[in-house]
Amino acid sequence: MTTLNSTRLKPTWTLAGNSLLILMALSVFLPFFWLSLGSFKTGAQLNNPALLLFKPTLENWKEVLRSGVLESAYRSATVGLVTVSLSVVIGSMGAYAISRYKTGGSSTRFGILAAQVLPPAVLVFPFLEVSYKFRLNDTLFAVIISHLSFVLPVITWFLIGFFDAAPKEVEEQALVDGLSRFQAFRKVVIPQVAPGIGAAAVFGFVLSWNDLFYALILAPGNSATLPVKIASFNTFRGVELGAMCAAILVAVIPVLIVSFFIQKRLVRGISGGAVKY
Amino acid sequence: MRKLNKVAKLAAISAAVAVVLAGCSSSSEETATDTGAAAGAASGTVRVLMEGVPDTDIVSGLLADFNAEYPDVKVEIETASYDQMRDKYVASFTAAEPTYDLAILDNPWVGDFAKAGFVQPLDDLIAASDGYDYADFTAPLRAIGESDGKVYGVPFYNYALGLIYRSDLVTAEPASLDELAATAKSLTTADRAGIAMQPQKGYKAFEEWGNYLFAAGGSLYTDGKVKLTTPEAKKALETYIAMYKSSAPKDSLNWGFDDALRSVSSDKSVMMVSYNWMLPTLNNPDGDSGALAGKFKLGTMPGGKQVLGSWHWAIPTNSNASDAAWAFVSWISSKAGEAKRVTAGGAPTRTSVFSDAAATAKDPAYFATIAKILSNAEPLCQGANCDEMINAVGTELNAAFAGEKSVDDALAAAEEQANKIQAE
Amino acid sequence: MSFRLKLMLPLLAVFTASVGYPLLYAFYLSLTNYKITARYNTRLVGLKQYIATLQDPNYWSALQVTGTFVLLAVFIEFWLGLFIALALQKQTRIRNFTRSFLLTPMFVTPIAIGLMFRFLLNQQLGVIPTFMAKFGLSYDFFGPGKALYSIVLIDVWQWTPFMVLLLLAGLEGLSRSPFEAAKVDGASAFFTFRKITLPLLVPVISVAVLIRALDAMKVFEYVFAITRGGPAIQTMTIQYYTYQTGIQFYRLGLASAMSYLLLIIVMVIVVILFRRIESTRKNP
Repeated sequence: MTTLNSTRLKPTWTLAGNSLLILMALSVFLPFFWLSLGSFKTGAQLNNPALLLFKPTLENWKEVLRSGVLESAYRSATVGLVTVSLSVVIGSMGAYAISRYKTGGSSTRFGILAAQVLPPAVLVFPFLEVSYKFRLNDTLFAVIISHLSFVLPVITWFLIGFFDAAPKEVEEQALVDGLSRFQAFRKVVIPQVAPGIGAAAVFGFVLSWNDLFYALILAPGNSATLPVKIASFNTFRGVELGAMCAAILVAVIPVLIVSFFIQKRLVRGISGGAVKY
Repeated sequence: MRKLNKVAKLAAISAAVAVVLAGCSSSSEETATDTGAAAGAASGTVRVLMEGVPDTDIVSGLLADFNAEYPDVKVEIETASYDQMRDKYVASFTAAEPTYDLAILDNPWVGDFAKAGFVQPLDDLIAASDGYDYADFTAPLRAIGESDGKVYGVPFYNYALGLIYRSDLVTAEPASLDELAATAKSLTTADRAGIAMQPQKGYKAFEEWGNYLFAAGGSLYTDGKVKLTTPEAKKALETYIAMYKSSAPKDSLNWGFDDALRSVSSDKSVMMVSYNWMLPTLNNPDGDSGALAGKFKLGTMPGGKQVLGSWHWAIPTNSNASDAAWAFVSWISSKAGEAKRVTAGGAPTRTSVFSDAAATAKDPAYFATIAKILSNAEPLCQGANCDEMINAVGTELNAAFAGEKSVDDALAAAEEQANKIQAE
Repeated sequence: MSFRLKLMLPLLAVFTASVGYPLLYAFYLSLTNYKITARYNTRLVGLKQYIATLQDPNYWSALQVTGTFVLLAVFIEFWLGLFIALALQKQTRIRNFTRSFLLTPMFVTPIAIGLMFRFLLNQQLGVIPTFMAKFGLSYDFFGPGKALYSIVLIDVWQWTPFMVLLLLAGLEGLSRSPFEAAKVDGASAFFTFRKITLPLLVPVISVAVLIRALDAMKVFEYVFAITRGGPAIQTMTIQYYTYQTGIQFYRLGLASAMSYLLLIIVMVIVVILFRRIESTRKNP
């Protein structure tokens, strides 16, 4: 009787759930699909959005590759990797100290999250001023420093949760076995939270990769990152639609591929303890 | 343990990649600073940022001619979209090591950049250049490049507005604002709008509506102050709103330049108020208008007066190659350079070029219209804080277009804000 | 130096450099009349910029627009995300593919998403209006009274996956025993969801909603790419307004004051929320 009750409802729920998933998958797929079509259309063909069959042109792709989008993607990846590497190293050390030794009590955690509250608009002007002073404006260095201001708190905050969730017995045993505290941290604690670090790193990378605000203001010129480059296809004097479609796809395709490979680890990594406050 | 290794490897690889990338980017920057400082002798590399528009392509096409006369000056043109140009320039002007040695300035920037000391006065250079004939530039264009009695920019190309229309559908150019409204309404059918408008908030709304204001007999400035609480301004705004409702494409309240252009080139609209040099683009048989190419014509706004915009050549104060930059500017904007540029399809700035039969041979009627347009045009803004003033007025106008504010309230608010902003 | 301090030191140093210093500098800027085009004329002006901000009706309008945006977007994202996460958890076939595919929007730079929707929703060129027109429907996505909701929809499209990710991780991390007990007791699926799943998920939910809300408050790209704040100032968010004031109109001093006031307002809201969360955790 009891099992009957829950199994009786099940088909409806499954049906509803699967329909929702199909609907969502379509809503994700269709925009990308139209974008791909648009990237192969000429200006005149773009005037007809319903046009499905047409003679494709490679002009848009050629133009986008000429315009330096790939170089910008390179710069974005550099900024992301450097920011995340620094944040993971510095953040894991700090997070461990906060988690194990309750440094500063619960206000530390709050303080770190509060850093996430800061509107970028507050921080960006000082960054700009300082970069003018040290002649660092329009360099990737300025962008990396600014990205640390939001990537580091998020990564640290995630890692505190992972360290909280990791059992203490193993590292205590390691200390008994004669490892120094730092060795124990590096060789025993870090491997335990490695999936979590991976998830946090991915998260941090996405934040940095996606940022337009800081990069636009700090490095609008020759050090333009990918979002800044993409924004340049939009202007009130005219949008180069075909080229813009291709440029957006350049930004989308790598993350599509990467997200396919990391999604499983990401869910597992996060459920390992990050979502606690 | 295996996992740790993976993480460590990944970190090591990413750090290595970062180092390599950093190396690459710094080495590519070194080449740019090599600019012989030899005064007098024009040599060096001149880097300039320009907008991706037809006039820029024309300048690129003339570089070979320039280098035939000045083999030691290398001009490097970087193109960008309009939205990013100003920020890129400001970043370069305020840096120790500039990114650009030559600049082009849009007319709202001239006053602010001159006051900020970002660009050099050019008076001495002009005086020292024999046969340059600065007075030959049309008067309103000269006025835009000047600030506090000094010349900070010499005209590059004009973007005065005008009325672009389909000659197969519009039989007589409208002579008054009311006639324009009536023509637009009578041409509106189920699948074609009479006029593609550009009521987008901010710059676009202000720029387009300015032409309506002039067509209604109004003026932006009275005794050096913005004056919009006038019967002419009210008439212009009311007519604009009525036309938007009756004769513009449906739901086009956020349309800008490109939307209107696309609408006209794809036979969805008959007329638009746009830049005079859009005409050759529209009439290009290989362009987006396809079979419609050749059917477009340019006229003045009804009443004859329109909004004037222009780009100016200017030399940044921190330029690494001022002399080489001026060598190029004085060549391209000289009478001979102007004739070459206009012959290649560039938008004219000098009076003398209109009497040059070779330069205007392609379409004499078109050049006659441009001469007429330039003889009676007023800049969008004069003085300080132009971008801010234009945005404030353009926002109020857009609020009136959207029906959020009454015509009187919007105009009063626009006038008050504009004067407050420009007084600072 | 203690081991603990050694571990903390790099974090403190970088934090001070990348957050602490700019924060103090922004405060200093907010007390000056700093303007990029008039740097030679910079001097302290006291609280003048703050007073100007408080008296600026556009600032209050921007706060209101941003508040509406955050509440609407996060509300929709949460419920939609929760149902998708539940469906994903129950899904048996092509699991990995569905999950990675549904998560993709959050990995794409928002400016690209903004431009993409500007293109898709465009009245002349957009697939969606063209398609709707075939059915005789017409809707001006960026017209007066509608633009803000369209921006909300774009945010939902891009960021619901974030909710899904966190909620799914939360669901998979829940212990099985309460659910098995419920099954033995014959509880209905709906009852189990309301009385067991949701309460157990509360910590995850509060974190997910908090992070998302803080992030949504920073909305900039969609406005920058599509509406520029229009029609009139209906989509002028606080982030865009500050950008316009500080960068486009060169007024860094005023923009810093605007940002500081925003920071104070947000901090007050966050502290109140934290107190709430803490107290519900103590007395469930």
